[in-house]
Amino acid sequence: MWTETWLFTKRSLLTTIRNPFSFIPNLIISVFFLLVYTSGLSSVASLPQFEGSDYLNFILPVSIVSGAVGGAGGTGQALVRDIESGYFARLLLTPATRTAIVLGPMIAGMLQLLVQTLLIFVFAFLLGLTIPVGAAGFFFTVLLAIGFGLGFAGYSVGVALKTRNAQAAQAGTLLFFPLIFLSTTFVPKELIEAEWLKVAATFNPTTYIFEGMRAVLTQPEIDWGALSAGLAVAGTMSVLMIVFAATNARGA
Amino acid sequence: MLTTLVRPTSGAARVNGFDVVKQEKDVRLSIGVALQETGIDKVLTGRELLVLQGRLFKMSNEEAQRRADELLEVVSLTDAADRRSGTYSGGMRRRLDLALTLVHRPTVLFLDEPTTGLDPASRIEIWNEVRRLNEEFGTTIFLTTLYLEEADELADRIAIINHGKIVSEGTAEELKQLVGGETISMDFATESEATLAATRFHTSSNGTHVSFELRDMTLTEIVRSLDEQGLQPERLTVKQPSLDDVFLKVTGESYEGGEIRVD
Repeated sequence: MWTETWLFTKRSLLTTIRNPFSFIPNLIISVFFLLVYTSGLSSVASLPQFEGSDYLNFILPVSIVSGAVGGAGGTGQALVRDIESGYFARLLLTPATRTAIVLGPMIAGMLQLLVQTLLIFVFAFLLGLTIPVGAAGFFFTVLLAIGFGLGFAGYSVGVALKTRNAQAAQAGTLLFFPLIFLSTTFVPKELIEAEWLKVAATFNPTTYIFEGMRAVLTQPEIDWGALSAGLAVAGTMSVLMIVFAATNARGA
Repeated sequence: MLTTLVRPTSGAARVNGFDVVKQEKDVRLSIGVALQETGIDKVLTGRELLVLQGRLFKMSNEEAQRRADELLEVVSLTDAADRRSGTYSGGMRRRLDLALTLVHRPTVLFLDEPTTGLDPASRIEIWNEVRRLNEEFGTTIFLTTLYLEEADELADRIAIINHGKIVSEGTAEELKQLVGGETISMDFATESEATLAATRFHTSSNGTHVSFELRDMTLTEIVRSLDEQGLQPERLTVKQPSLDDVFLKVTGESYEGGEIRVD
């Protein structure tokens, strides 16, 4: 099973690398977000609720997470392409387990996000990013990003298998975009005015990913409570979505 | 269902002695399936696809490489091996698909309309390949086709399916017997000659034309008897009934939903 998973991962990576347009636009958009938000909104960081942290550190998670959503959506679309080309049926006819068939592309998607997150970091450093807590801040942010990404890749693979339709798979990921914004995306929770948005942000798993990342990026000391909440949400999401994807694969 | 892609709602079936529900994996290891639509990732090269396929069938990397080289040779794709399969022509893609099906040396091969949409040259190539697999390696081939000529050409045993049920089964010869044997037809220079010949063979003429079923007479007997009468037809042909005739007869001459299965 692990050999198979590795073979499928390798194959998906190869497919991704040979289709540069499957990841380049997404990367550009993430970097664009970072640039625009930092230039346009950075003065809000002088509000006391920001406790003196730089707006770049605050907005970096938004760039990373929106990049993860776009990138993970690509995983589902790649699977739909396989279904449409008939290659998926051929894979189902091999003795490989169904789980390996869907896990491979998910892991490849996660690795793609890892590289993407690193590149966003490089860009952020070029913009003058400094992390008060040092390397740990970098490490945990990346960990949260790939955990969230793996979960999201599982979600897009599950939707792809269920609908077998590229448009539906894409729409499935677009549904998640509002989630990013119904959250503490641009300002800390204390600054959200609308009561409903505060409630939405509380129930939104993305909020915990953001808070987790900010716990290690914006504070002078790591806020372990927020970080563990973020890691727990990312972990739970990954497991649930892998199960969701594998269940749909078994029915395929 | 026999290929494990679809689970039966009821009943049981065995392929190569393995139950298609309980021993899915054993079934998959022993069969090769080429679906009507080729199953190829356009981004990978022919060689990459073959090696991956071999690895998925539990071969070591070296083994899979060797097998890929072998099969590329067999389906004459060695020159195109390292090009992305998206650049292949329809016939090449079909051959690569067949090669992928053969990687693990299956003993039973399912081919679903393997020549649909191919030009005549590629079709004959695929036919030759199928025949070779059957004769040299003793592979059992389960082939579905809409071209009756293909069934006639390749199959030892044919089953005709109409509306999901087997309506007729047997060798091509046996099936053809259903619509009668060979017919002979001759044309004479004059009507009187034709009438004379018709009387000789207990049939009737139609202008200068005479035709009847051969039954247990041989062609030699007929020619000899014509000779005795001093009759010399201008044209003499023997026609085998085609499977098309059989198909139309057993399906009640309805064209809808007919499918021919061959094995």
